[in-house]
Amino acid sequence: MRSVVLFGSFYALLALPHALAVKSQDFKTCSQSGFCRRGRALAARAQEAQSSWKSPYTVDPSSIVISSDDSTVKAAVKSSLYPEIKFGLELRIHDDGVVRVLLDEVDGLKKRYDEAASWALVSEPKLSKGIRWAAGKKELRAVFGEKNDIEVAVDYDPLRVRLRRGGEDQIVLNGRGLLHMEHFRSQTLKETIEEVASDENAEGQEVLQVENVRAWFEGDSEDAYWEEKFSSWTDSKPKGPESLSLDITFPNHGTVYGIPQHATNLSLPSTTGDSPSYTDPFRLYNADVFEYLASSPMSLYGSIPVMHAHSADTTVGLFNAVGSETWIDISYPTKKSTHTHWISESGIMDVFLLPGPTPEEVFAQYARLTGTTALPAHWSLGYHQCRWNYVSSDDVRTVQRRFDEEDMPVDVFWLDIEYAQDHKYFIWDHKTFPDPVEMTNDVAAAGRKMVVIVDPHLKRTSDYPVYQEASDLDILVKPKSGEGEYEGWCWTGSSSWIDHFNPASWDWWISKFKTTQNDTGFSWTESTEDIHIWNDMNEPSIFNGPEITMPKDSIHHGGWEHRDVHNINGMLFHNNTAQAVRLRSDIPKRPFVLTRSFFAGSQRVGAMWTGDNLGTWDHMAVGVKMVLANGIAGMAFAGSDVGGFFGNPEPEMLVRWYQVGIFSPFFRAHAHIDTKRREPFLLDEPYKSIVRDILRLRYAMLPIWYTAFRENSVTGMPIVRPHYVVFPQDTAGFAIDDQFFVGSSGILVKPVTEKDKTEATVYIAEDQVYYDYFTQYAYRGSSKGKHITVAAELHQVPVFIRGGSIIPTRERPRRSSPLMKLDPFTLRVALSKTGTARGDLYLDDGITYSHQQGEFVWREFVAEQSQKKTTRISSRDLASHNPGKAVDGIALTTFDPKNAFAKEIEEVRVEKIVVLGLNSKPRSVNVEGGAELKWEFVPGVAASDKKEGVSSVLIIKDPKVLITTDWAIVIS
Amino acid sequence: MLWLLLLPLPLPALGVVEKTLGIAPHLVSKYVPSRSNTWTCLDGSKEIPWDYVNDDSCDCADGSDEPGTGACPNQSFYCQNEGHIGSFIPSSRVRDGLCEPNCCDGSDERPGVCNNVCQEVGQAYKTKAAEETKIRKTGSKIRSTYIAYAHKEKKRLEEVIETSAAQITTQEKEVARLRDIAERAESLSAAALEMKQQSPLYTSLITHSNALKSLQREHKKHLQREKELSNILDALRSGYNPNYQDMAVLEAVRGWEEIAGLPHINDVGKDSVSDEEAGVEEDTVPDVAQTKEEVDDEIWSAEELENDLDDLLNSDYISLLLEHDEYVQSPPEGSVLFDIASYLPDSVVPQYEEFKETILSLLVSFGIIKSETSSSTDTSRSRQALTDAENELNKVKKEKENAENDLKEIFNIHGYGLEGEWKKVDGTCLRTENGDYTYEVCLFGEAKQIPNKGGSTFSLGKFASWNPSPDIKPGDEAYYQKQIYNRGTRCWNGPERNVVLLLSCGTENTLNSVVELEKCEYQFTGTTPALCRPLDSFEGRNGKKSNAGKDEL
Repeated sequence: MRSVVLFGSFYALLALPHALAVKSQDFKTCSQSGFCRRGRALAARAQEAQSSWKSPYTVDPSSIVISSDDSTVKAAVKSSLYPEIKFGLELRIHDDGVVRVLLDEVDGLKKRYDEAASWALVSEPKLSKGIRWAAGKKELRAVFGEKNDIEVAVDYDPLRVRLRRGGEDQIVLNGRGLLHMEHFRSQTLKETIEEVASDENAEGQEVLQVENVRAWFEGDSEDAYWEEKFSSWTDSKPKGPESLSLDITFPNHGTVYGIPQHATNLSLPSTTGDSPSYTDPFRLYNADVFEYLASSPMSLYGSIPVMHAHSADTTVGLFNAVGSETWIDISYPTKKSTHTHWISESGIMDVFLLPGPTPEEVFAQYARLTGTTALPAHWSLGYHQCRWNYVSSDDVRTVQRRFDEEDMPVDVFWLDIEYAQDHKYFIWDHKTFPDPVEMTNDVAAAGRKMVVIVDPHLKRTSDYPVYQEASDLDILVKPKSGEGEYEGWCWTGSSSWIDHFNPASWDWWISKFKTTQNDTGFSWTESTEDIHIWNDMNEPSIFNGPEITMPKDSIHHGGWEHRDVHNINGMLFHNNTAQAVRLRSDIPKRPFVLTRSFFAGSQRVGAMWTGDNLGTWDHMAVGVKMVLANGIAGMAFAGSDVGGFFGNPEPEMLVRWYQVGIFSPFFRAHAHIDTKRREPFLLDEPYKSIVRDILRLRYAMLPIWYTAFRENSVTGMPIVRPHYVVFPQDTAGFAIDDQFFVGSSGILVKPVTEKDKTEATVYIAEDQVYYDYFTQYAYRGSSKGKHITVAAELHQVPVFIRGGSIIPTRERPRRSSPLMKLDPFTLRVALSKTGTARGDLYLDDGITYSHQQGEFVWREFVAEQSQKKTTRISSRDLASHNPGKAVDGIALTTFDPKNAFAKEIEEVRVEKIVVLGLNSKPRSVNVEGGAELKWEFVPGVAASDKKEGVSSVLIIKDPKVLITTDWAIVIS
Repeated sequence: MLWLLLLPLPLPALGVVEKTLGIAPHLVSKYVPSRSNTWTCLDGSKEIPWDYVNDDSCDCADGSDEPGTGACPNQSFYCQNEGHIGSFIPSSRVRDGLCEPNCCDGSDERPGVCNNVCQEVGQAYKTKAAEETKIRKTGSKIRSTYIAYAHKEKKRLEEVIETSAAQITTQEKEVARLRDIAERAESLSAAALEMKQQSPLYTSLITHSNALKSLQREHKKHLQREKELSNILDALRSGYNPNYQDMAVLEAVRGWEEIAGLPHINDVGKDSVSDEEAGVEEDTVPDVAQTKEEVDDEIWSAEELENDLDDLLNSDYISLLLEHDEYVQSPPEGSVLFDIASYLPDSVVPQYEEFKETILSLLVSFGIIKSETSSSTDTSRSRQALTDAENELNKVKKEKENAENDLKEIFNIHGYGLEGEWKKVDGTCLRTENGDYTYEVCLFGEAKQIPNKGGSTFSLGKFASWNPSPDIKPGDEAYYQKQIYNRGTRCWNGPERNVVLLLSCGTENTLNSVVELEKCEYQFTGTTPALCRPLDSFEGRNGKKSNAGKDEL
C-alpha cells in the first residue's frame, strides 16, 4: 500500500503538462536587434516629421554617366549628413525590362558585401542595349520594354527611383525618405566616450545632443554601433554600423505576397500602421526555431527576399539581393497601396524591380534572374516515408515489407541522424546498420530509393576522416579571430562547419559522395547510387550559438563575416551536396537533395520542406499557405511534414494531413523520435484504407505533377497556384490561400484542415463548370465569384476539374512509381461550357538528363466541337511545335517524336477515356478513320447547361490509342 | 537492375492474354463463356462480352473480369508455379516489370521478362523447410522434457500442498493450545496490564515508536524519491535530447553531475581526462561523506538504520513493559538482594540462587514481594510463543497457497500453457549485448537494461501478459509467440518503458535481438524450445488450413 502511495505522488510530479511552444526568448525581436531598432526609430522619426521630412540623399546630376551600350547609368550620390562620404548609384536595364538598382559606398574605409546576387543569380542577366536616357534638371528618365510602356525615373533631390507603367508609379524606392546606408567609420575615442557617457551620464548625453546635427535623421545616440549583447552572447561588430534601410512603396498595389519563409497568410499581414496584425516586422534570418508558432512574423529556416505586389490591374515584383539579416515592415496606408520598409544589417543595396505586369510575367522575370526548379527525378514526386529514426537495416526492411503487405505505394525510405555512428555523417553505425549497401539494394529491388541525412556540422575528432580532411585543407569556418576553426555544439557534440563559400571546399565535398574508392581521401564507398541526400540543420543550426546559429562575427572565405552571408549559407551547402550526388555516377543522374535552409536560387538545387512543424490542425493549415508562399518566391518543390514532426496526431488528423500531403509538390511523412510510430499501415480501419486510397490518388496523378514540374522548370510558374495567380483580376480571390490549382492541369483542391468537418466551402472564381473529381457532380461558378458547399467526410478531399481540362492519370496501383513506367493512361475530358477542353502531358525517363537531348514525350490533348455536332478528341505532339520551350535552359532546335525514350514507351496506350458533360448520348464513337469503339454513356447534366448535378459520363473502353502517337477520336 | 529487366521488352506483348491466366484454381470453373459468348462478373453485377475477360481493361465493379492482367485494382493473381507450390500475388504486382519471388513461374509478367525459376525456388524451399523441421524436431524433444518437468513439478506441488495441509492441521492445534495458555495468563493480568499501559514511560515509548515509524516511513519515501529522481537525472544525463536545444536542460545535467560527482557526459575529445577527473571525484566524494558520518558512536549509521531499525520497531512493547516491571517494581532492598550474587564468589552462586528462590517464594507468600513480576514475564513469554506459532502457521499456509497458485498456473492456458511447457523456463534469464547495454529478460519476471560502462540499470517492465491482441486466440501458437512486459522505469519526458518479446521455436532459450522502435518501447526477439510444438501437430494444423498455408508462401 505504502509503495503505491509513493508512486502515486511520484507520477503526479511527472504528469506536469508539457506545453508545446516556441522559445521566443531564444530569438531576437526587432527591439533586441540594434540595426532593426535604428531602422524602426528612423521610420518613427519620419512619421513624426511628416511632410517636413526629406531624405538627405541626393544625386549629383553632373556625375551621371551612361554606358556605351546605353544599358547602364551611374551617378554619384551624397548624403547631406555626411558630405564627405561618397556613394555610387547604378541602374541597369535587363532585356526583359527588369531594372537593377545598385547603391554602394565608394572608397569607404571598408567594403560592403556585394556578392549576394552572384550566389542567387543563375547567370549574368542580359542587358538591354540602346536605352534612350533623358537626363533632365530634376530627374533622369528612360522608357523601354517591348511596347515601350515601362519607364524608370531617378529623381535627384532627394534621391528616388520609380518604376512606372501607363503613367502610374508601380514601385518607388526611397519615396518615404527612409533610405539610409550607414557608412564605414572608425571607432574614435570621442565616440567611445560618448557611448559610455550616454550609458552612464545624463549630463554627457545632453552635451551630445547639442553637438549632433544629424540627430533628426540618425537619432541622438549611437545605438549598438560597436557591440551588441543578446542573452549571454556578445556580437563584437568589428566593422561597426553598416546597415541599410530602404523603403519600397507600391502606390497602386494593395496586396503583397512572398518573402518566405514565415508561418503566416499568403497575403502578407501588416506589421506597422494602424492596428497592425503583428507588432514585429517580418524577419529574414535563417533560424532553427524549435516548435515554431503557426502564425508569426518570426524568421524560419529559409529566406527569399522576393516580394510580389498585386492589384487587379498589374502585378510587379521585387528582388532584394541581400544575404544579411533583414527585417521588413509592411503597412497598408490605403486599401490600394502598400508601404514596405526593408532593414538589412549589411551589404550593398542591390534591388531588382520586376515590371510584370501579370503574375505569369513576374514569375518569368524572376525565373530568368535566379533560375527555375530543376526538373526533379520522377520518383521524388512519389511518397516519402521518414521517421527519426528507422533504427536498423532490419527496421527499414520491415517497414518496406509492411507497405507491400498492405499494398500501399511508397517510393522512398529515409534515414535520419541515428544511422551515423556518433552522428558522424557517412559513417554507418554498424551495430544497427551492419549491411547498408545490402539494405539499400533490398529497397531498390522494388524500384525504390533511400534518402540519408548528411548535416553540415562535422564532429571534431581526428578519427572522423571528413572532419580531419576539412581541417587539413583549412576549409572550415573560422572564429572571429580569423584563425583556427570555429567550434560549436550540435548533434555531434563539439563540431565545426565547412565553409562552402571557400571554392576549395567544392571539389573536395563532391568527392566525398563517390561510391567508389577515392585516391585522395574518404569517399562514401558504403553507399550506392540509390541513396540520395537530406541536408538538415544548414541555417546553420548551432545549439550553443546566439539564436541557435553561428555567431555573426565568425569568418568565412575572403574575410567576410558570417553576418554578411548568413542567409546564403544554407543554399551553398545544399548546392554542393546536389552537385556531388549528380556527379557521383559516370552518367549524371538527377540528384534529390532536400534542404531545410534556403535562399533565392535554392530552387535550382532541389526540394525544401517547412521544417519542424507541430502535429496540430493550425500547423497543418499554415503548412498549405507556406508551400504556396514558397512557390510564389520560386521555391516550388516544397512540402510540410505529413502528420507534424512533433506530437502524436489522432487518426482523423493524420488522414487529413495525408490529404494535404498528396497535394503538395513534395510529399513526405516524418515524425520526431519521441512520437509513436505512425506509418500508414499501422492505422486501424477505416483510416488505413482511406490513407491507402489517398496514397494511390497521388500516384494516379503523378503525370499531372510531373507535367506541372516541366512547366515550372521552363516558365517559373508555381506548381501549386493560389487563386490570384489563375484569376489575377478577381479581387475577392487575392487573399485565398486555402485552396489552389495544381499546375495548369485544371485540378482545383481545397484540403480540409479542421477537425470534425463533414463539409467544405469552395470558392469558384469564374462562370464555368467545375466537376467533382470523384462524383462527376457538375458545379457552376459565377463571373462575380461564388462559394459552393461540398461534402467533405473524412474519406473525401474536395478535388475538382475545371471545365475545359483534360486530365491524364495512371490508375493502376503499384508499389512504387518506377513500376508504373509502362502502365496505360486514363484521360478525363472535362468539357467546358463551350464544349472544349485541353491538357498536356510530359514524360521522360525521370532519372537522367537525356531529356536535354530531346528524349522525352510532350503531348497535347484537345477536345473541340466541330460543326456537325461532333466532339473530336485528339492527341498531338507539342514539342515539335515548340522545341525551344520544352526543356529548361536548353533551346532545342528540333524534336524527334520517335526519340529513344518515346520508343521505350511506345506500347503505352490510353486504356480509358472519360468524357464529362456531353450534351447527349453519342450515336457513335470511333477512332478517326477507324472502327467503332466500345463505350458506355450515363446521361446527366451537360457542360453547356445551367443546371448543377451529376454530369453526363461517356466511358470509352480501351480505345487502344497510343500515348506517343497522334490520333483522334470522334464522338458523333 | 530494374531497367535491365524492362528494356528488352518484346513488342507484341500487348494484349492477348490467356483467358485462364491468374485465375484461382477453385474459380477456374466459373470462367467459361455463356452460349451467347458473354460472361457475368463474379458479383453478378454486370454481363459483359466474353472478349472482355482478361483484355487488360477493367469492366466489372468487383474486378473479376481481369484475373490475369492487373487492370483492376485489389485483385489476386494466381501463379501456378508448377514444380513448386501455387501462390497468389496482389494484382498491383502483375506486369510491373519485377519478377515476384512468390511467382517463380514468371507468369505475372509479360512473356520473356522473368524466367521460370520454380525448380530452384522449390529446391531452396524444401531445404529450408527441412532445416526448420530439424530444429522443430529437436526443439520439440526438449519441449517434451519441459512438459515432463511440469508434470513433476505438479506432483511436487501437490505433495507440498499435502504436506503443508498436514502441517497446518498440526500447527493450528498448536496455535490453539498456545492461545489458550496465553489468554489464560493474560486474563489473570489483563486488568493489571491495562493499568501498566497507563504508565507515562510506556505511553511515551509508544509515542516514540510511532514517531520513529513515521520518520522511517518518511525517510524511505525520501530515499525512494531520491532514487527515482537520480534515475530521472541519470536518464536525462545520458539520454537528453539536444534537439530541445535547451540550455536549462544542459544546466540541469551539469548541476546533477556536480552533485553526483559524475563527469560531464558530453565532454567530447576530453574523454580520458574527464574520466580521470571524475574518477578522483567519485573516490573523494563518498570519503567526505563517510568521515562526516563517523562522528558519534551512539548515532546510528545509515547502514544500521537500514538493517536494524525494523527489528527495533518490531519489538513487543507489551513484553518490554512487563519485563520493565521487573526492574522498576522490585523494592530497593530487592535490588540488593538480587544483586548479592555479584558480590559472591562464583563457586557459591548456584547455592545462592537456590537459596534466593526459596527466600523469594517465602517473601511472596508473606506478601512482602508482589508475585506479578514473574507472572507478567510468563504472560509475555506465552504471548511470544503464540506469535511464533502463528507466524509458522501463516508461513505454511502461504506455502500452500503459493503451491496451489503455481499448480493453477502450470496447466493454465494463460499461464504456463495447457501442457505446462512454459513452467520450466519460468525465471530463466536471457541476455544479449546491444551497443552500450546488456539487455536481460527473466521470463515471467522482469526485463532490464544494464549499462556496460556503469550507470543505472533500468527496469524495462515486468511480465504482464501473453499476446494481448483480441485477434489472437489464447492457446494458439501466435498467442505464445509474444510476451508483454510493461510498467518499467519511466523515461525522461516519455512513457514507462515496456518490452514486447517475440519468441519463436529454437533449440535453446536465447535472446537474439533488441530494438528500440520508439522511444522507450523495446522489441526483443528470442527463441525457446517451449514453442516447438511437435511436428505432427504442426502438420496437422497446417493440413487443415492448407490453402491459407499456401497463400503465405
